[in-house]
Amino acid sequence: MNTIAVNFGIPIDTISLLVLFPLVATLVALLRQIVGIKAFGIYTPSIVTLVFFTIGLKYGIAIYIAVITVGMATRLILRHLRILYLPRVAITITVVSLVTLGILIIGASMGRTGFAAVSPLPLLILIILVEKFVAVQIEKGSRAAMLLAGETLLVSLLGYALLSYDKVVYTFLAHPWLILLIIPFNVLLGKWSGLRLTEYFRFREVLKKMR
Amino acid sequence: MFPTFLSSLKNASALLGMNARNLHYVRPFNLSRAREIADDKLLSKKILRRAKVPVPDLLATIKSRSQLLEFDWESLPDSWVLKPNRGFGGGGILVVFARKKGRNDAWVKADGSTVTVPDIVSHVRNILDGAFSLSGTGDEAFFEERLKLLKLFKPYSYRGIPDIRIIVYNRVPVMAMLRLPTRASDGKANLQLGGIGVGIDIATGVTTTAVLGKSKVIEYVPGTRLLLSGVKIPYWEEILETAVRAQEASGLGFLGADVAIDREKGPVFLELNARPGLSIQIANLAGLKARLERVCGLKIRSVSHGVRVGRDLFGGEVEEEVENLSGKKVIGSVEKVKLIGRNGKEIEVKAKIDTGAYSTSIDRELARNLGFGETIEAFDKLDLSSFELSPENEAEIKKEVFRAAEGKVPHLADVATVFSSSGESIRPVVRLSFVMDGVLIPAKVNIVDRSHLKYRMIVGKRNLRRFLVDVDK
Repeated sequence: MNTIAVNFGIPIDTISLLVLFPLVATLVALLRQIVGIKAFGIYTPSIVTLVFFTIGLKYGIAIYIAVITVGMATRLILRHLRILYLPRVAITITVVSLVTLGILIIGASMGRTGFAAVSPLPLLILIILVEKFVAVQIEKGSRAAMLLAGETLLVSLLGYALLSYDKVVYTFLAHPWLILLIIPFNVLLGKWSGLRLTEYFRFREVLKKMR
Repeated sequence: MFPTFLSSLKNASALLGMNARNLHYVRPFNLSRAREIADDKLLSKKILRRAKVPVPDLLATIKSRSQLLEFDWESLPDSWVLKPNRGFGGGGILVVFARKKGRNDAWVKADGSTVTVPDIVSHVRNILDGAFSLSGTGDEAFFEERLKLLKLFKPYSYRGIPDIRIIVYNRVPVMAMLRLPTRASDGKANLQLGGIGVGIDIATGVTTTAVLGKSKVIEYVPGTRLLLSGVKIPYWEEILETAVRAQEASGLGFLGADVAIDREKGPVFLELNARPGLSIQIANLAGLKARLERVCGLKIRSVSHGVRVGRDLFGGEVEEEVENLSGKKVIGSVEKVKLIGRNGKEIEVKAKIDTGAYSTSIDRELARNLGFGETIEAFDKLDLSSFELSPENEAEIKKEVFRAAEGKVPHLADVATVFSSSGESIRPVVRLSFVMDGVLIPAKVNIVDRSHLKYRMIVGKRNLRRFLVDVDK
């Protein structure tokens, strides 16, 4: 199938991303249902994984952390202004973009050309994530948002590790039909009603002292 | 360490986790129509009121900007609560306690700060714009009456009002907890924000174990020596019935019912939750799943039947055999009593149970410590020499003295005339609640000098109706 696709002129990168994306999404679902790591939904960790995959771990993590920290700080400053949601997010995005630009300039001036060479689209994807972050911050408070941001990073790193594992990648690229197995696997996952691993920790006192 | 960990894993099958809650309970039993009711506070108010479930009175609604412009602010009472219709997690709620002195257009919040009409207008505008709503889209704002804190709960809660969360399934109350607002939770009774959850024995309505925040087991109110267990929730039967009736009316098969107690109205239904949190299991140190499975498939005929089943199935192992026979609690001739003062201060004393006395009395010094110092001083200043007390004119004298004292003596509830072996006396009577053997007793007690006596308090017949006295105990 891959050879057919390549013969039609579809770039191999596009094919591998399309084949691997379901894998990452399934990993996110598995981490939520079985382990209990929450992250911002399924979109954010999957897309962050792919961003890490395209621009590299070093710059990816650096920019991710910068975006979250600046988003957090901006929110603390804007809180007293009492303004509506969308303008507030727009201001936050502005600040985050400026800071990212600053980082690029400083990086380039110090001779670190790698930063400047980062392709713009993944960069913008990371910046726009700040909206998710702000939304959770409003709904559940700053602490919960920081925790979720950390969990998202963790899930994305695990996704990155999965995609960096050559054997997995080659197996799926060589036999793309394996992707179909992901559907019944997710059906099973969706019917799993046992405790999540983190819940064993959350309920440890109850488990010990239950009457 | 490890073996205990393994044996604790056996208990895991009794616990309800997030996966099982969503898959087996929320999804199949809370259909979207019912969830819509739960997310729309005005609609749920209407439906609940129709089903004769007591809810806080609705004062006014503001549904649009034009209604906001035309709103008559002077029509609001002295105290009220402003809420977004589709708010969540307690966000966007504004509570005022009183009108600012001498002003028609300003009120005072719990922290003492002032709220003026322009403040409220900007707050309502934010609500209308959806700043506090679940979906972030437009919303409605409404004013409702402010519930008044029950004296019993005063020492336990910071600023806000505690509420009682009850999980109702198949018309049976399955598990319950008392949620207390703390400083950390900013006066909101929400565990995720750092409130306290106290487990409640379904059979008796007495608190058992407690959790702070999402998973920390505690015994005392943080920073105090106030024990969280052993508090008897008043109106327990009524509260359970209210929760079950709310389930019937809302159609939520798996319901987290929030009920508060108003000082004057008694139990009032606050909120329907279609996705109740799981920390209630930590507060009770018990598993929900095991309980839900016991209730599943039972034929429940009526509200009171459901309540009875819940109380029978999920009552604790509190030794209450005798007490169940007569429906009365057995106490000894001297009992520890927790007095709840005017300022919310609690004092524990040993009281003599005196079936020979009609009413309850406490020592002057004790009364002073409970916040009745002004009452005593003002009563002492009254000139009572003109009243000649005798059993014949007792009733008349009581009336006259009370009339003379009214307005001059603060917190005076009545006047008592007492004839005893040590002579007759006229005493001030105040309202004072106390807890004896887990039962809250709202009482009228008289104040007298007992400094030369062994016990600083005696409990008289009038407040002993719910007890049997065992002299050997």
